[in-house]
Amino acid sequence: MAYATLIKRGAYHDSVTLLNLARALRGRPGVREVGVVMGTPANRDLLAQASLLTDEAATATANDLVVVVDADSAAIAGEAAASVQSRLAERVSRRDDRGGGRPRTIGAAIRRMPEANLALISVPGAFAAAEARRALHAGLHVMLFSDNVSLEDEVALKHLAIERGLLLMGPDCGTAYVGGVPLGFANVVPRGRVGIVAASGTGLQQVAALLAGRGHGISHAIGVGGRDMGATVGGAMALSSLDLLAADPTTDLVMVIGKPPAPAVAERVRSRLRAIGRPAVICLLGPAVTDGREGSIITVATLEDAAFAADAILMNRPWQPLAFSDPDARRRVSDARRQLTAAQSSVLGLYAGGTLAHESLLILDRLLGPVASNLTDRAALERRAGHRVLDMGADEFTVGRAHPMLDPTARVEAIREAARRTDLAVLLLDVVLGRGAAIDPAGDLAGAVRAARAEARGRGQGLAVVATVVGTAEDPQGLPAQVATLEAAGAWVLPSNAQAARAAACIAGGDVVIDSLLGGPGGRA
Amino acid sequence: MDRVVAVTRMSRAVAARLDAWSGTVGHVHSVFERAINLQWPDGSLLALHGPGPLLAPFAAAVDDVEPLRWLRIGTPVTIGARRLVAEGLSIPWPRVEVVDCSVDTAGGRGGRSTRHLRHWRGRHSASLDSAPGVAGRARLAAAIRERDAARLIAGAVTLLGLGDGLTPSGDDCLVGALAVLHHVDREWLPRGGASAVGAIAGSALERTTTIGREFVLHALAGRFSEPVLAVLRAISPDEQRRAVACLVRLGATSGADTLCGMRLACRSLAA
Repeated sequence: MAYATLIKRGAYHDSVTLLNLARALRGRPGVREVGVVMGTPANRDLLAQASLLTDEAATATANDLVVVVDADSAAIAGEAAASVQSRLAERVSRRDDRGGGRPRTIGAAIRRMPEANLALISVPGAFAAAEARRALHAGLHVMLFSDNVSLEDEVALKHLAIERGLLLMGPDCGTAYVGGVPLGFANVVPRGRVGIVAASGTGLQQVAALLAGRGHGISHAIGVGGRDMGATVGGAMALSSLDLLAADPTTDLVMVIGKPPAPAVAERVRSRLRAIGRPAVICLLGPAVTDGREGSIITVATLEDAAFAADAILMNRPWQPLAFSDPDARRRVSDARRQLTAAQSSVLGLYAGGTLAHESLLILDRLLGPVASNLTDRAALERRAGHRVLDMGADEFTVGRAHPMLDPTARVEAIREAARRTDLAVLLLDVVLGRGAAIDPAGDLAGAVRAARAEARGRGQGLAVVATVVGTAEDPQGLPAQVATLEAAGAWVLPSNAQAARAAACIAGGDVVIDSLLGGPGGRA
Repeated sequence: MDRVVAVTRMSRAVAARLDAWSGTVGHVHSVFERAINLQWPDGSLLALHGPGPLLAPFAAAVDDVEPLRWLRIGTPVTIGARRLVAEGLSIPWPRVEVVDCSVDTAGGRGGRSTRHLRHWRGRHSASLDSAPGVAGRARLAAAIRERDAARLIAGAVTLLGLGDGLTPSGDDCLVGALAVLHHVDREWLPRGGASAVGAIAGSALERTTTIGREFVLHALAGRFSEPVLAVLRAISPDEQRRAVACLVRLGATSGADTLCGMRLACRSLAA
């Protein structure tokens, strides 16, 4: 029996620390008993009763921490007491290093990881601007995942970031790649030579995945938020990002993806691209966008074309946009149409990706005529039957539930409801893979798809289900497996969202649409 | 430029103290993961912690506790015009919610609303089951049953400073008992005379830690933390369950030891 005593005069450690300390000491081999108490008279009595009141412990006062170890040998007791010193010193040091426990603030996180150069902020919008400001003042780039940040704050934050030579990605930025590191909802793609400035998350994902499918990688993909290229923000971060990509020796081709910007911003972006002088591809999804070329800058109308144009540039080969990459597309359309009744002529798009919904809306609108959508005219959804495209990630569908990229519930319910429609010819779906997305998004929808087709068959109708899967083979979900799941459920899976929208339009619209797309060489909407 | 951490909520006792002591210099007494204590020349404490319920009747909640953890023990702290000032840190209270941490005396209603505490089955600290812990609780229980101030003092003295933790378990048990007494029958204590309160307060000066003593002194004056008040004020079974669960989670055993004292007082008053 040997004792070691440690008295820390005027030392204050919280109760949990003291409890854990006592437990740790009791767990040491050779330790028989331990006292870890404040040196109050009552506790000195307790120590005495437990035969732990050493002469040294008896000198303690109420505000002293007393540790007494009774062990098999003096060496064991001494080591145990020494471990207390180091454990308590470590706690103080961690606190002094501002590293104790999980960091609760930007400042604490920086002190824990001083080498960090980017903060990903995802807090409620009311607090997001303040946190982003703290991060920028601390010299960090920011990826602002939060939405509900005011336009005023966005402008101020971006100006602050630019002043400091930093990135402020977002607000509402869900996907980015910086220095080969995927951030947020991102697909597994190689590092490569394409630099992207994106005002669109799933748009970026579609392009990156298609590029990866052709063996190309991303140098950096900077998400600037959906409002950046509007008149108020004036393209602040888009232009700053283009400058960064221009200075990046690993970027050989620059791409800009989003929706049509304010006219003045569009001109500033083009002007900047001209000045950069590298090959560039612009894909700003809008109703009046047509393919074109100005020197080394190519303008395209779809995300797929953006990827394939970039591929052609990088591979130094010619490129022509195609309606369908499947030479059997006409037959598949005919097979699908054969199963429909005369009453069936409508398309319903149920989308997880907002940009994918937007792209499909543009294509369907062009090929089939007016399409109701929550992206454009919510009131029309109430008035109009017929073709519909719904962005199920919009606020009205995500109250009280997670985004459809994570939670399939809303889309499954919508599919079940759609199955009852006797006018519905085509159900159009997207499935988005990648880090952060659901584990088996195709599987989540497959059952509902099967059931919907069976319900239609039950009343003597067909139901075409057309889908695209945005992802890569290296994604956690695996592109081939996800495609196979949907095909097994009866869906026609096309390699891009644009092709899926065209396929849906052909099935619903019939020969007129088919011929406009496939009628002659290069015929393409 | 000084960093700024704003006080968002404070107890009425803290507000009164800060108003009265403008210009006084205290110092940082202790620094923890989620709270710090400041001490003033008269030995009293002011606790600062992060957002949420006031965890002590002498506490104030700030909007961001992280910068406070930079402060070193012994750093001087001055009470200025509606702000505390320490080295490199300004702690103003521009728009502060002042919370009354005094127990409402509910009389018979209080007895009914705390009835559920008689049946609380949670585990308290082992030190309360030690010989002095059992003796102290027995004395306290007898004192409450028989309205005997002398036994109250004896029970309190036995419990003060007893057991694990920075606020020893015995202190927490005593505080819990005092909370119920103030809530159900505030007249009980003065009946024993101010000397009983004074005797217990005097013992607290010698027999327990500075932090434990601060809780006991406030408890003798009928002031408690918001989690304790929530248990007393809970009406519906759901509220009671939530409030008890919240209190139990405090500290390593501090909350459970407080509930032990509350249960003791409830049973003794009902006997």
